[in-house]
Amino acid sequence: MAVGTSTADGGIPAYAAQMKYSTGIARVIHSPAYRYTLGAVAEWRYGRILLLAGVPVVWMLMMHIGPIYEMLRISLLSSYPPEPGVEANFTLDNYALFFSEKLYWMPLLRSFVYASIATAVTLIVVYPVAYYVAKVVSPGGRSRALLLLLAPFWAGEIIRIFSVIMLLANRGAVNVLLREIGLTDRPIQMLYTSFSISFGLVYMVCLYMLLPLYSAIEKIPKSLLDASADLGAGPFTRFRRIVLPLSRDGIVSGCSLVFLTCMGVFAAPILLGGPTTSMFSETISSFFHGASSRWPAGAAFAMIMLAASLVTVGLFMRVVGGSKQRTF
Amino acid sequence: MIIGQKINRRNALKLLGAGSATLLAAPYIIRPASAQSSVLNITTYDKFLPQDFIEQFQKESGIEVRIRLTDDQGKQYNLLTAEGANPTTDIVTVAGHRYGQFIDSKLVQALDTARLRNWSNLNPAYQDAAWARYEGNLWGLPILAGYEGLVRNTDYVPEADSWGIMFDEKYEGLTAYLAGDFMSITMKYLGHDGDFVTYTDKAEEARKAANEARDFLIKHKHMVRKYYDAASEVQQMFINEDIHLAQAWSGPAAKLIMDGVPVKLSVPKEGTYGFCYTLNIVNNAPNAENAYKLFDAILANPEVGAAMTRTSGFSSTISGVDKLLNDKERLASTLPQDELERVTFFSSTNRSLKNEIIDRAVAELKAA
Amino acid sequence: MRAVFLDWPGLALKSFYWLFVLYLFLPLSLMVAVSFKDASFISFPLGNLTIDWYAKVIQDKQFLDACLYTIMIAAATTAIATVIGVWIAMLIGSLRGAAQYVAFAVACLPAVVPGMISAISLRIFITTIDLPTGTVAIILGHVVHAVPFVVVMVLTRLRSMPGNLVDAARDLGADSIVTFFRVTLPYLGPAIFGGMIFCLLLSSDDFVRTFFLGGYRPTLPMLIFARVQSGMSPEINVMATLVLVVTAVVGLYAEYLTRRSRIR
Repeated sequence: MAVGTSTADGGIPAYAAQMKYSTGIARVIHSPAYRYTLGAVAEWRYGRILLLAGVPVVWMLMMHIGPIYEMLRISLLSSYPPEPGVEANFTLDNYALFFSEKLYWMPLLRSFVYASIATAVTLIVVYPVAYYVAKVVSPGGRSRALLLLLAPFWAGEIIRIFSVIMLLANRGAVNVLLREIGLTDRPIQMLYTSFSISFGLVYMVCLYMLLPLYSAIEKIPKSLLDASADLGAGPFTRFRRIVLPLSRDGIVSGCSLVFLTCMGVFAAPILLGGPTTSMFSETISSFFHGASSRWPAGAAFAMIMLAASLVTVGLFMRVVGGSKQRTF
Repeated sequence: MIIGQKINRRNALKLLGAGSATLLAAPYIIRPASAQSSVLNITTYDKFLPQDFIEQFQKESGIEVRIRLTDDQGKQYNLLTAEGANPTTDIVTVAGHRYGQFIDSKLVQALDTARLRNWSNLNPAYQDAAWARYEGNLWGLPILAGYEGLVRNTDYVPEADSWGIMFDEKYEGLTAYLAGDFMSITMKYLGHDGDFVTYTDKAEEARKAANEARDFLIKHKHMVRKYYDAASEVQQMFINEDIHLAQAWSGPAAKLIMDGVPVKLSVPKEGTYGFCYTLNIVNNAPNAENAYKLFDAILANPEVGAAMTRTSGFSSTISGVDKLLNDKERLASTLPQDELERVTFFSSTNRSLKNEIIDRAVAELKAA
Repeated sequence: MRAVFLDWPGLALKSFYWLFVLYLFLPLSLMVAVSFKDASFISFPLGNLTIDWYAKVIQDKQFLDACLYTIMIAAATTAIATVIGVWIAMLIGSLRGAAQYVAFAVACLPAVVPGMISAISLRIFITTIDLPTGTVAIILGHVVHAVPFVVVMVLTRLRSMPGNLVDAARDLGADSIVTFFRVTLPYLGPAIFGGMIFCLLLSSDDFVRTFFLGGYRPTLPMLIFARVQSGMSPEINVMATLVLVVTAVVGLYAEYLTRRSRIR
């Protein structure tokens, strides 16, 4: 490399002007080693494209498409893992199986309903919280307010599920309390119902709503809100006309993350659900977990869920984020 | 070199993958020592093998023991299957209902008992049990024995001598069971062969019997609080009084009894099924030789069996363990003779027929 | 002058926030309370209390080792996933039309696949590329899972970035790399921070991928799952409580440091 053949600040004046804010980055980009290599690439049109697309494209092809492709292949085989003496043929039967029986498509429908409800509830509950942290709390206290909300999530999924069980069980905290103050004499059955599933799902995933919403609301200029208030807009009008439209991106990504997580989540519905609430992720894993293992059918069902989830989220993004038709 | 070869999909992937993996992992590119002669890799449950025993074994044999903790048979099975011909583990811990499946899938190898000096320390009842012999071979070292028990909370359910109590309207919404296992028991309760041993070449008859049990369970679905999966769930449900009655494996129930929870475990008059946990040597295990050494050490040391019983609640298959348990542990993990006689061990015949039919019936039961 | 009014929306929001905090913490406080229970299973009412479980866990070498290993993997995952996620987001942000939708869908794929299936397909995949199981494979698996979350977070903010910011930097002669580091990256700050939190959480909480890709050193979730198998004892609550306390202390200290540096 051409180190030392040129001085550092023989360049454009703008660079020199920036020098007083000099950081580690500035020092690097002014070094000749940088300017003759990466810097040169960045000046070259195709170099820029390569720089921007190279790593992401390779990564996504390898790590995102690769395993899914493998799964797609398995889902089209008549038997897998390969067994000696058994010929695996190409077949669509595993997909046909899904549509052939209510037994299989009903849980997908149920997952959809629960995921949608959980997403809606989470949005309604978390939005005011995110708004409060982003706009009402003073900037100095924001990270503390946020930290407080983050703290419970470090306990881990399984612990949080069991703590929900401790709360809602027949001899859980709520029932013990109700009995102590004499409101009930028989425990109210809350656990293993659709209530406990929804409660648990929201409890598990609300963080995925909180952070996107916070990051979207936080960037709405305070001046805009103040100006509209000075012009006489009430809190509700301000919310409807300014905050809501400007936080739309956050709503879209928060809802997408929560919906996708709810669709794929496995432990919470299994541990908190009752006898009539089996979800699609349970159906899929029963093909892998069951005593007779049928990977191809499981893989096919996973592909169906994948497609269904992505299409739903895609449509949602188009509808909600679509009115201004601006790309990302 | 590669240019000369025909570049197929696999090679291309390999190249691409190796490239990015190297980038990611530069300091780590050292193959793990899974194939060295001084290592033994075990996949097992937490605390099944006591730490002092492992340390002593390592010191005496010079073999480094590495333990991968598992919590679930399905994951263990899928992992081994995904690893194919190059397993990263030498010994797996197989639960009774999976025994036939591991063998059928060629995941484990036959056990050569002649290579075990201490084989005679195994309780004679398990040395050549009918359920253990499959395709003419013995396949695993039995370590723990258990059965499908009827568990009741004695504060609410005074007496339970029949599986029929699971369908008694008094306990509506207060029962729980493992759907797959209870399907077999219900078949037995209704007078069929819940273990499918007699259904060789009679798939239709088997299906009819299973469907009858399924319909019976669907009819009584309102009785059920939950179809559970994990032992910790049924334990917690009893403790929280979410249920008063359940079908459960004897081990987890015995653990509750050991801790003083007011539950009782029994074998109903219709009888029940038993099973063993076995340690099995994986097919193509890189260190099979060392696995035999470990088996011998386990058989020679009843302390290991006692530790397994304390952790799991199941009773040990190794002679001399009884003496090491305290009264409470012994009482909780062993059965009176008359109840013991009502236990039939799950067999290994017609496994795939049984699994296929039961899995299907369970899915239909849950969806109903 | 507006402060003179009774600020009822602010007040309502504030009480709502604290109610939400209560909702998050109530189940967890039960969990912490039960960690002091003197029995082998968690339950209510508490009965006799003990700190024996704490003494036991603090001396448990396996637990401490699992914590360190988990932290190490989570840190590596976060570092790699953040870089790749931001990179992918930049690429998607520069695309237009159908290409953008396709790229976005592909970027999101790993977040949609159920854990079990992604674990199995990754296991088969690393066999195909001849990567041994162990730390590297675990990190790879976690990164794959975490990247979509970073992408979504970063894209959300990238969408709203005023284009003239970049143009101004370009006009001043900065090349695209310089513009990225000096203008875009600082603007994306909060989103990247959120993405990193997701990475840390996803990695330190992942069980099924770790099991399939891992070697013989358990991470904390693996250890906890294995322990739960032999009964939900207060010991597990103790572990979770310790993790909570330590993360809270670290978080508060980091917050204190950043606040102090800002004042200076």
